[in-house]
Amino acid sequence: MSLVLKAEKIGKWYGNVLGLSDVTIEIGPGITGLLGPNGAGKSTLLKLLTGQLRPSIGRLTVDGRPVWNNTALFRRIGFCPEQDAFYDEVTGDEFLTGLLRLHGYAEAEARRRAGRALEIVELAGGGDRLIRGYSRGMRQRIKIAQAIAHEPEVLILDEPLSGLDPLSKRKIIRLIKDYRSEGRTVVVSSHVLPEIEALTRSIVLIHQGKILAQGDIPYIRELIDAHPHVVAVRSADPRRLGSLLVADRAVQSVSYGPEENLVTFETRQRDRFFDLLPRVVAESGLDLEEITSPDDNLQAVFDYLVGK
Amino acid sequence: MPIAEQGYVHWEGRLDARRRPWRPIARLGIRLAFRRKYFKFVLGMAFLPALIFAAGVYISERIGDFREMLRGADRFLKIDPDFFKAFFASDYLLFWMLIIMVLAGAGLISDDLRHNALQLYFARPLRKKDYLQGKIFTLAFFLLLLTLVPGFLFILLKIIFSGSFAVLAEFPWLPASVAGWSLFAAAFFSLCTLAVSSLSRNRRYASILLIAAYFLSDIFFGIFFGIFRDPHFALLSVKTNLQQVAAAFLGARPLFDVPWAYSAAVLAALAGLAGFVLARRVRGAEVIR
Repeated sequence: MSLVLKAEKIGKWYGNVLGLSDVTIEIGPGITGLLGPNGAGKSTLLKLLTGQLRPSIGRLTVDGRPVWNNTALFRRIGFCPEQDAFYDEVTGDEFLTGLLRLHGYAEAEARRRAGRALEIVELAGGGDRLIRGYSRGMRQRIKIAQAIAHEPEVLILDEPLSGLDPLSKRKIIRLIKDYRSEGRTVVVSSHVLPEIEALTRSIVLIHQGKILAQGDIPYIRELIDAHPHVVAVRSADPRRLGSLLVADRAVQSVSYGPEENLVTFETRQRDRFFDLLPRVVAESGLDLEEITSPDDNLQAVFDYLVGK
Repeated sequence: MPIAEQGYVHWEGRLDARRRPWRPIARLGIRLAFRRKYFKFVLGMAFLPALIFAAGVYISERIGDFREMLRGADRFLKIDPDFFKAFFASDYLLFWMLIIMVLAGAGLISDDLRHNALQLYFARPLRKKDYLQGKIFTLAFFLLLLTLVPGFLFILLKIIFSGSFAVLAEFPWLPASVAGWSLFAAAFFSLCTLAVSSLSRNRRYASILLIAAYFLSDIFFGIFFGIFRDPHFALLSVKTNLQQVAAAFLGARPLFDVPWAYSAAVLAALAGLAGFVLARRVRGAEVIR
């Protein structure tokens, strides 16, 4: 059975500073992206999920059991922190073996698992090198290796792609996706939208300690009634296309430009609009060059929700 | 949310049922200490008194052969509680124990704080108690190597060289005293070193603080004792308090005419304060302010 992370009305204060407020979410198998600007409360939520912080209020469970102080559950959770968290004076192999020993694995088993984790993150050749000599990408990968070495059912990654070059980012994205395909629960936090988009469509948006939305991107987009969908169409005769569609109740507004062949529609009934558009085009014999939905991406969703 | 297939296979092996999660922490601490510059040299220097006193035990059984060389100093070679006190409470041994603590212990927690390693430890099935046990064991390992091992070695050598158990018959409490003092000193030094280490993310500051606390306390004692000639000022000095308690453990005469229980109370209070500091400073997640 896969593990489900469940937070019910949790809050966390640091003295007078609010870390999280009234957070209720349920995270199941697959990759879930935790998205929010710096200081939004992502790391606090992840530390609560990994049992390193106790909620000031509310209930937080993994597999139905409270996480705080539940060391038995920690065996089933892998955590990759945002900052580097290792001694430079040890080798990658020693680092992993030492941490695996904390789980209770015998020396030989710990070594075997360390070797396997290094292979998975493509660091097999660097296991006997001191971490001091690792590049930024290698350090990030060894951090992920320590999180997966004990084969946890839940993997929690705090900004795993931060500061990496594109090649290293691609490697880690592939690694995380592979992990997801094995049916485990993966939570990835980031403040960089494209990073989350590259990993998953299932997101939790967090801002100022509160969950703004949860679900996949189109679903969240649907929920935003205040902001109509924008559909941009390139056509040889944009004005004629606009005049044919503007009368329908699905279309809220029509605008032209900035390029000559571009017409932009705003609609609150996306499904109806996309039923209508091909029908009108077919009947009128108009040529279409391109249909895009510029606000159907995470950046637009996020901007709407945080009120930019 | 999509549910992917449950393709992975669970490990069929068994985890250690008598799991001692502090052991990997202790092993790492000991291993890293040996990698430190000058550590082996310092450890060797700290063993010098043990070698000299072991030689003393041998000579005490061959007093006749060495009479010319000793020229009346043979009274120092009577193997009794005072002999052990001279070893355990010597300025030299205590100094090198301090240096060992600085090299092996000052960074034990401060390095973890600097490297943010605590969050990795506490995201695993490891409690704060296990973590601190591992760190204490690291330091206790070196301290007991310098105290408990030589102490028992002296008794053993005395028995071997004399060919009798007379030393145990005369001082039957000696093994317990040696073990008791060694454990007390190890616990005190370890707790205080770890507490100081937890106060800074920089091992250098922790090292300086450790050395300063040890020597400044002794300097203040020297100043006040010089002015007022009151032996109670010995309570200001960490070193002198340790020497007083060592003498009490071994049933020997203390250096200063101050009840040893006072010194024990001062050291216990310092250890208690260290425990409090550790409880406050060692936590899994950093507190954001």
